[in-house]
Amino acid sequence: MQLKGKTFTNISITLAAASCALAAPVTAQPSELGSWDVDAGLLIYAESDHQVQAYEGALSLTKQIDDERSINLKGIIDVLTGASPNGAVAQNKAQTFTRPSGNGSYITAASDTPLDDTFHDTRVALSTQYQQQLSRLWLYSGGAYLSKEYDYLALSINSALARDFNKRNTTASLGFAYAYDTIDPEGSIPNPGVSVDDPNNRLTDSDTKQTLDLLFGLTQVIDRQTLMQLNYSISDVNGYQTDPFKILSVVDSNGWANNYVYENRPDQRTKQSLFWRTKYNIQPSGQVLDVSYRYFWDDWGIASHTIDSKWRVQLSNQHFIEPHLRYYCQQAANFYRVYLDKGQPIPEYMTADYRLGELQTYTIGLKYGFPIAGNEFSVRLEYYLTQVSGDDGLAKGDGMAGLDIYPDKSAIMIQSFYRF
Amino acid sequence: MKKDDLLNKDNLLQQGDTSKKAFTLKRKSGYWLGEFTVMASPCQILLDNLDEAKAYSLTAQAYAEAKRIELKYSRFRDDNIIARLNSSADETISVDEETTRLINLADLCFQLSDGLFDISSGVLGKLWHFKQQTQLPSDAGIKALLPNIGWQKANWNEPLLHLPKDMKIDLGGIGKEYAVDKVARLLQQQTDNAFLVNFGGDIYVNKSRCNGDAWQVAIENPQHLGESKLMVSLVQGGLASSGNSQRYIEVDGQRYSHILNPKTGYPITGGPAQVTVYAQNCVQAGMLATIALLQGEFAEDFLKAQDCRYWLSN
Repeated sequence: MQLKGKTFTNISITLAAASCALAAPVTAQPSELGSWDVDAGLLIYAESDHQVQAYEGALSLTKQIDDERSINLKGIIDVLTGASPNGAVAQNKAQTFTRPSGNGSYITAASDTPLDDTFHDTRVALSTQYQQQLSRLWLYSGGAYLSKEYDYLALSINSALARDFNKRNTTASLGFAYAYDTIDPEGSIPNPGVSVDDPNNRLTDSDTKQTLDLLFGLTQVIDRQTLMQLNYSISDVNGYQTDPFKILSVVDSNGWANNYVYENRPDQRTKQSLFWRTKYNIQPSGQVLDVSYRYFWDDWGIASHTIDSKWRVQLSNQHFIEPHLRYYCQQAANFYRVYLDKGQPIPEYMTADYRLGELQTYTIGLKYGFPIAGNEFSVRLEYYLTQVSGDDGLAKGDGMAGLDIYPDKSAIMIQSFYRF
Repeated sequence: MKKDDLLNKDNLLQQGDTSKKAFTLKRKSGYWLGEFTVMASPCQILLDNLDEAKAYSLTAQAYAEAKRIELKYSRFRDDNIIARLNSSADETISVDEETTRLINLADLCFQLSDGLFDISSGVLGKLWHFKQQTQLPSDAGIKALLPNIGWQKANWNEPLLHLPKDMKIDLGGIGKEYAVDKVARLLQQQTDNAFLVNFGGDIYVNKSRCNGDAWQVAIENPQHLGESKLMVSLVQGGLASSGNSQRYIEVDGQRYSHILNPKTGYPITGGPAQVTVYAQNCVQAGMLATIALLQGEFAEDFLKAQDCRYWLSN
């Protein structure tokens, strides 16, 4: 029985394309058993006016032990050079400072922001992180960290558990970390509030700090394109949190600084933060929009807002560009002082470190990535501008008239990554 | 012969397993023949003009890769991704990249065949097992299974797959052809010489032999098993057949083939017993052959539109 023919379309070409892709090696096999994935990174950071410069090399090795377990080892070496503000205010005359080590002195020219030029250090950091799928829905992660520089040793451990809910569309996680830091500054721990020129201004050789962090996280798949994340973290820091290299000017009624004392920060600090992030994958172009907001506050009176956004645009041949914009603003710690007034009692806690002052930071950056020998290589260039603000009326008297006591700071960062 | 035995012994020693030999290697005229059994099929690797050590190494790798695919996608195991998906009980499972690609291909074939090629239709095999079957399954029994069939009811958001409760998938319809292409890719990365991969009649050849000859392959006539019906010359590409004479039942003079229509739950009738297609690779050939067979009496019309070489046997 011969039936009348039926018309068919040609599906052969579509099938050829799909079946060719099938046997091709799986791209970027992060989970290939038995082999290590290597990520290498280089970073150069340079602040304006020859302040801090940092060079960092990082190497990260990840191994998928089996379907359930993976381990990561990471090593970082960085070298810091340059000078950083010592906390003293600029003056309409040259100022001479004793080095924090107590050995020798350096001179800051009139109207310049005093910078401590002895800033030079090499840091080595090693860390390891282990991850295991405990059961279908439970994931465990644990790790340890060690970093050592000339006068500082940091040790920490962390542990986290995550569980999937709601057909794996929701992940809840709970993490903790404990850190134990030891600082052993050259010339010992200075006595706060005591003049840098006082021969008896030293306390003990070294001091320690302990930090306990707790993190609660929630990740939710909203739809095929959208992922949302909400984190709350609380951190309790106990111990020595003063910067032993930072000082404050003691200024007389005419604006002249004729004494400098070491700063002091409380031994206790509780920090909290709320973090919200949304990742949106724009289909079918494959662009990714990543926007986040963080609100941070602590019991030192600091509160800050961070808005961060990245937009990844896929170009042809696996090239991509990723513009980055970030805005940060911070309200000062309640013991922040630009300087101390002569004749007034020295407060228990005080710092002139601009990083604890009122400030805004703007970051603009661009990342460009492309494959080299089948592996992803990327370069990121970023520009930071930090604007410190405060009461301009504090630049008083002959000593400070006309000076910018809240100088802006800018920095450039170049970072490159390669994965192989 | 002695040489073969020695080689086999060698294999056993190197495999560290004396209970069963994984593969054998034999010298033929101008090529090496590696043989093993994977996916319940006799598998052959023909390697043209190579030294023995290289032939041994390539056969071992081909066996390992084929075995890996069998273990990963066999529906008869309880420790692989298929078992996980089929026992997922209304949960969404994230699958690896290799599985994602296979499911994407199955999804594409489902679309291209207008729902006839369906990896969720395997449950029908419970009723249509074709093992000395002399009676048709009951219509009620077939109807009862249909709600669990239909790939359109699965939720595939690469790499997340959510199967409705009681739906089971089976990648067996792609697995063997995929293993052929995957092994061919593996060999291609390591030798410039000609080779032929044959897993139970699903074949890939990369190029002519060094003496300039094409590879000669026999297509078996399902009506007369064991007798070579047709010799085909292959230079480069994949050859795959769908349809099998051993698996059919005849009731009241009507032959029911083992190719089932997932929409009705009944075998496709009126079409050729076997379709063989020669295409760029084995998966493409296999999918074309299977989808052609699913068209029943229109199989040849379908094949004519595909711009490929094909052979039908009735």
